[in-house]
Amino acid sequence: MSARSLAEEFLGCLQAGEVDEILGLMTPEATVSLVPLNRHGPMAAEGAAYLRELARSFPDLVVRVRRLFVTGGDTAVAEITIDGTQADDFLAVINTEKHFDLDQAWLLKVTPDDRISDVTAYWDQNQLYRRLGVKRLDQVTITAG
Amino acid sequence: MTTEAVRAGAGPAPREDRAEAAVRAFFSAYGAHDVERMVDLCADGAGFRYVPFEVWGRQRVLHGEGKVGTVGKLIWTTLIDAFPDLTNAVTSLRADEHGNVVAQVSVRGTQARPFGIISAVGGHFELPHLFLFHVTGDGLIDDIVAYWDNVDWKRQLRCLEVD
Repeated sequence: MSARSLAEEFLGCLQAGEVDEILGLMTPEATVSLVPLNRHGPMAAEGAAYLRELARSFPDLVVRVRRLFVTGGDTAVAEITIDGTQADDFLAVINTEKHFDLDQAWLLKVTPDDRISDVTAYWDQNQLYRRLGVKRLDQVTITAG
Repeated sequence: MTTEAVRAGAGPAPREDRAEAAVRAFFSAYGAHDVERMVDLCADGAGFRYVPFEVWGRQRVLHGEGKVGTVGKLIWTTLIDAFPDLTNAVTSLRADEHGNVVAQVSVRGTQARPFGIISAVGGHFELPHLFLFHVTGDGLIDDIVAYWDNVDWKRQLRCLEVD
């Protein structure tokens, strides 16, 4: 399987909220950096926790791939837009059932035996807060209606 | 196109190498605050999209999206004016054979003037960025996209408003 195919499978599982399937694409020691959340660590812990919260909070999540390319034969770069309607608290933001869309960029490093060994994600958390009604960064649990 | 752009973009080197060279020249110009050179390294009509750049007004939202020669040049000039010691450090740079380039870059600066809703209180920031470029076969950048986290940026500059 090519790095591109693996990335497409990863993104398909992201949309479907299939976290265990995502972990099945990883090496056991795979690492993750969720840059805007300052979360860095094992994919099986930090990454899975974030993905499960995302899936629970946005059960109708849609992932649209804007751009996907592979550098050096081993690192897939995906620019995506995710959108969905909030159905549960998310990253401390209280659920007000708002719809959101958010552009993100994901880097997936792939091993020669077709496993993802490292994941790095970038987005603007301020855009997420804005769309979910947060007004102040020191009061993310308080949202406007 | 500048002489440097020609050097970076022409010749028999693989396209990946030429694309990387064009992007390194771009960040070198950015570090030197040479906006004209940054623009010269780009093709006429090059696309520009700074994803986190949104200004929410009463009637509409302004996005940091358009052309390098207009929106890009304006944002770069304004940023350098607000952060006169703005610097960048490229931490990783990778390209494919089609001219796509991804760059992880640490951008730093000390605020001297207001930028958007962020008042100048002399704050310093250091912020990871991800840049996606497309470079033509002639070695000119024809598309720039950037991601960073405004929450991290604002907190470092002591601004706690979302908008």
